Amino acid sequence: MASRVLTDSRWIARGESRTSFSRFLLWLAPWTALLLVGIYAAFLCLYHGLNQTNMDNRFAFGLWIFLDLGIIALGAGAFFTGFLVYILKRVELKPILNTAVVVGFICYSGAVAILMIDVGQPLRAWFTFWHPNTHSMLTEVTFCISCYLLVLCLEYIPILLRNPQLRRLPSFLVFDHQLHRLIPVLAAVGAMLSFFHQGSLGGLYGVLRGRPFAFRSGILIWPSTFFLFILSAIASGPSFLMLVTAAVEKITGRKLVANEIFRRLALISGVLLGIYVAAKSIDTLIWLNITSPSEGFAPWQFYIHKPFGTPILFAEIVLFGLLPAFLLTFRATASRRGWLLCAAAMACAGVLLNRFVLTVQTLALPTLPFDDFLQYTPSWQEVASFAGVIAYGVIVYSLSYRYLPMFGSSKGEHADVSGN
Amino acid sequence: MFPGIDGFHWTFGHILFLLLFFAVALTIVAIVASAAWRTAQDFRNHHAIDLCWHTEFAQLPDSARRCRHELAGRVISRTCDNAFDCRHCSKYLQFAVLPPAGHLHLSGLDYPDDRYYHRGHTWVKPVEDGNVTVGLDELARHLVGTPDFCNLPKVGEELELNQTAWRMKKNGNEILVRTPIEGTVVAVGGPERDWYLKICPRFDLSEPVTLRHLLRGPEVSGWTNRELERLQEQLEAAHTPPALADGGVLLPDLMNVIPDADWESVLADTFLQL
Repeated sequence: MASRVLTDSRWIARGESRTSFSRFLLWLAPWTALLLVGIYAAFLCLYHGLNQTNMDNRFAFGLWIFLDLGIIALGAGAFFTGFLVYILKRVELKPILNTAVVVGFICYSGAVAILMIDVGQPLRAWFTFWHPNTHSMLTEVTFCISCYLLVLCLEYIPILLRNPQLRRLPSFLVFDHQLHRLIPVLAAVGAMLSFFHQGSLGGLYGVLRGRPFAFRSGILIWPSTFFLFILSAIASGPSFLMLVTAAVEKITGRKLVANEIFRRLALISGVLLGIYVAAKSIDTLIWLNITSPSEGFAPWQFYIHKPFGTPILFAEIVLFGLLPAFLLTFRATASRRGWLLCAAAMACAGVLLNRFVLTVQTLALPTLPFDDFLQYTPSWQEVASFAGVIAYGVIVYSLSYRYLPMFGSSKGEHADVSGN
Repeated sequence: MFPGIDGFHWTFGHILFLLLFFAVALTIVAIVASAAWRTAQDFRNHHAIDLCWHTEFAQLPDSARRCRHELAGRVISRTCDNAFDCRHCSKYLQFAVLPPAGHLHLSGLDYPDDRYYHRGHTWVKPVEDGNVTVGLDELARHLVGTPDFCNLPKVGEELELNQTAWRMKKNGNEILVRTPIEGTVVAVGGPERDWYLKICPRFDLSEPVTLRHLLRGPEVSGWTNRELERLQEQLEAAHTPPALADGGVLLPDLMNVIPDADWESVLADTFLQL
């Protein structure tokens, strides 16, 4: 008797080669296990409260906020690629647009999921919409992230509807077509929302007058960190896209994106990173010489507590800033895959380090004479929730790669239909 | 914050912030509502099927989108960018007057001249009562043989051009057959008869443009030869070395004769499915 083989070939686009269903399940198994551990840890935090974490009133931002800031910055590739393709008409980047949207969706939905645990009482999350403090940058961040996640969901839907089985339903196909025609508007709205919330996330720290390590002067109501966060996010987003794509190419053993697209992304990332490094250097000099002394603090005071010494500042600006900016910009290094990916990884590490410094180092440093230097080690529940979000990202991306058109071909996916 | 909450006072900041936020939120909602409304409109105006077909046509490989004038040898190379609807093609008349060349021999398949052929391997035959009969062409009949199951539309049903007209099943494979002409179903036949559907066409058959989108004459032989070549490549056993054509004829009921072939791909390419 012939044995029945479990297969999902009907859900995979014709002509696309994918690994066997059983091997795919095997790949998903450890990530699913990690996700389940993360869900259990999140349940503990929601059920018992934030006493499950090692945060307290003094150290209120920990691993989760670092994760939020980090993945929101790395997810900036979604809005920035959409902005480049639909607004600036850089159509050569269209083949990576779908993967950028999925990466952005994963990053933002993961960040919102973690925020729901972090607020402690997610049932009261709606309070921020009914009782918004219009003077708080955090309110703007909340509003923009909520709206932008909605935009990303809407951008993800047309990709989802291109699954071979879903395409067979005419209503889905027509809705996909009509929604796709409006995508440029969504891309513009998404770009505006992203610019503001990336900036406000930075501004959030810049306005902390009680935390002189983070406090910055700026332009009008916006501290300099507002602009630095936008710059660093749009510089690292394309690098993260390159890393994700290269990882998928390595795992699947397939060439997914032309080298020219990699080089174009590298150039965009490198130039923006160079501008960011210049701006960050100027900002640091102003802070060292003017802002910090005017608040009554000698800047060296902030660097005497190990391990937060000046090497971190050097790493942030030179090692993970200036160096990758050069490597990504120059054709000689950007043409070599090894150098390119190394530089992209350094650029991403740089933005993560920047978010770590502003979140953890800011809170660890003493600000009052009787304050101590604080140490914070995340609890296993925090780490497990963190790992759960990463597992969630891998699972969603894996499913999307297997069943959806993640990397476009040179042929247009949507023909212009006359008479419409 | 809002009215009804203790200590609430409107300020300029509230108004500006909330206006901005709700403008963005409304834009997002309006986009979804607009897409849904346009979708409903497309279905109401019988435009949805056309849209689906155009979208699917854009996904077909270039080899499946060759212009009828290339098939007839009137032009060397031309890719159709009009979803096979020559009725709306601005170049049709310009090429139609050119003399056909080459590919005038058919490989043992019967394609009578009294019928018009659709790229999805169906034919349309005008009959005396002003209606048309629709059936599977020879190549499709050789592939499918007698289907295991056939789901035909009901009499009175309106069919749009390139919509799925009927579904068949053979050896577990689902086959969706596209409608070659728009109109109303007035009778249904089936695999046991020569035709599957009798349709009352929406447009006047006496107008030459009504059937212009369908293949005729030298276009049919050119197209069929290419389809046979494609079929031969797809049904070739893996790792078979290249071989010259032997001039043989197509066996009937191929799906039963070669059950292990990649029928999903063969059927999709034959019946223009993605």
